Amino acid sequence: MWANYMEAFRLVFAPDVVIAIILSSIYGLVVGSLPGLSATMATALLVPVTFYLSPIAANATIIAASAMAIFSGDIPGALLRIPGTPASAAYTDEAYAMTRKGQAEMALGAGVWFSALGGIAGTISLMALAPPLAEIALSFSTFEYFWLAFLGLMCATLVARSSPVKAIAAMLLGLLVSCVGMENPGGVPRFTFGIADLLGGIEPIPALVGVFAVSEVMRAMLTPDPPPMPKRKFGSIMAGQLHLTKKYWWPMTRGNIVGIIIGVLPGAGADMAAWVSYAMSKKFSKEPEKFGTGHVEGLVEAGASNNASLASGWVPALLFGVPGDTITAIAIGVLYMKGLNPGPTLFTEKASSMYALYIIFIIANIIMIPLGIIMIRLASRILRAPRSGIMPIIVLCCAVGSFATGNSLFAVLTVAAFGVIGYVMEANGYPVAAMVLGIVMGTMVEQSFVTSLIKSDGSIVPFFERPVSAVLAALTIGALAWPVLYWIWRKFLLRPAHA
Amino acid sequence: MKLSDRVTGTFLVGLGLVTAYAGHKLPPVPGQQIGPEVFPVVTGLCIALCGALIAFGIGAKFEEEAEADLAAHGGENIAVVERGPLYKLRVLIPPGLLVFYVLVVDRIGFIPTAAIVAFLAATALGARLKLAAGVAILAPIGIHLIFYKLLRVPLPDGFLPMPWR
Repeated sequence: MWANYMEAFRLVFAPDVVIAIILSSIYGLVVGSLPGLSATMATALLVPVTFYLSPIAANATIIAASAMAIFSGDIPGALLRIPGTPASAAYTDEAYAMTRKGQAEMALGAGVWFSALGGIAGTISLMALAPPLAEIALSFSTFEYFWLAFLGLMCATLVARSSPVKAIAAMLLGLLVSCVGMENPGGVPRFTFGIADLLGGIEPIPALVGVFAVSEVMRAMLTPDPPPMPKRKFGSIMAGQLHLTKKYWWPMTRGNIVGIIIGVLPGAGADMAAWVSYAMSKKFSKEPEKFGTGHVEGLVEAGASNNASLASGWVPALLFGVPGDTITAIAIGVLYMKGLNPGPTLFTEKASSMYALYIIFIIANIIMIPLGIIMIRLASRILRAPRSGIMPIIVLCCAVGSFATGNSLFAVLTVAAFGVIGYVMEANGYPVAAMVLGIVMGTMVEQSFVTSLIKSDGSIVPFFERPVSAVLAALTIGALAWPVLYWIWRKFLLRPAHA
Repeated sequence: MKLSDRVTGTFLVGLGLVTAYAGHKLPPVPGQQIGPEVFPVVTGLCIALCGALIAFGIGAKFEEEAEADLAAHGGENIAVVERGPLYKLRVLIPPGLLVFYVLVVDRIGFIPTAAIVAFLAATALGARLKLAAGVAILAPIGIHLIFYKLLRVPLPDGFLPMPWR
């Protein structure tokens, strides 16, 4: 084990990895702070660059950029009442109210300090949970993998802040996209319409860039510019944070635990963790009447929660190839690309690489504090950057980045098409994150489904026979039936009671 | 582009049924009961079922609650500027520019194409001429330097080859 850790340190402190961590941290901080540019979009745009990096450097860029972007989203939330990323939306009002009370430093300081602590707590959970789960996962067959992947997809639809039926439909559309091409049990062209470029299937990366980046630029075409950031000088950012840690140690710990649980849950990510933790903070607070008036308690708990979920989201991703959220959905693509195929054997065959990822998480969350303070001090300048100057660069990065995935212009057309699809879906309440998970996991779901069916000679009974498989099946079917049962309950059982 | 649930639900029913039918028509694997048709057929039928549920308004209550919650927390920042029906077609500019990029980049090269794309995008977003021109000149050069020189992506030279090629 110690030899693996020594090897991991050697991997992490290689010059290319250190440079990758620093540059991607700065990139994540800047992109996350710009309203409308989410952490997922920052990560998706980074993927083409990771093609040219070593496996550890590639994963380091994803880890560092996403962690920084999630924190950095708090900055415009506190200063402009516009969340930089969806993960900050839950407590934007609270942070802005603090700024109006003259406590901007405390709000932003709490953002950076409790995000870092939450990220470290999430990393510890990843280190503690992953190895024992890997032991259990070694005995899984294709039946368990099928239900696990399906349950992951179902969780993504249940926690979506939208209609669960629409979320399931979006997820199924993602599975449909993954059907395109020749990579199927028969090796026959499926839904290719005679287009040679579709024979290899639709690559997840251009699709991700399209739905997260191009659709955002499309929305910017119709929405007004955010208000200009007033020039201001900040006092000490970190003053009083240790006092807050002592005073709110239990809300912080609860936020960490909730974030870790939500992160581990396949499909649920940082934004869900922040919403749940903010609501819990208000519910269990001794001073609930202060919430909404600029009270730091909710920021402490939700800030600790969203960054904790980020690290624990890697648990299902590394063990089963099932993404914990949209960021890990992208990370899984990078892991495959770099030969670190997710699965329990990763912890035995490439243990030093796994330990290297843990170390990178810890480093990213530690350097978040100094870099975050610098970012807050520069925020007045960065947030004044005109959107009309940034969005054209994003369009160009979408074009060149997607082209770089396979040196094919067809990928650029894919980006454009998925931009339109993402825009239309989002405008009509279909969560694009669910579709993305469908696209990323489609091949795995089909492979485990068809292999299991072949093994069982077409019978579905073996899908429910093995104990773990039966439990996962019950959970999945429960998740699938939930929207219909809820609708029946509200429509037929609740109404007579009110009458 | 807000459509009613009835329209999107009906579209999904149609898409699901067409998918299931097309999947059913796929050739089977000789000597094997399970082939490439199973997954698309199951997926298609499930999409059609979801479409029917959406068209009947099942689950819409969740959506309304989530939207109200988000609006109450100040997270809603998508107030569309109303300037007539044609104004909304502006959303097609970004994907249109990407299609334009695909059509011309091999003919005139990366730098001129990217400059046109950046200039048009900036102008469409309301940038003043000075800013739009600055973005159109500097962004393509910076991106070319990173992707061509550092990452070795073969961007076409066209009329304006860069000195670091």
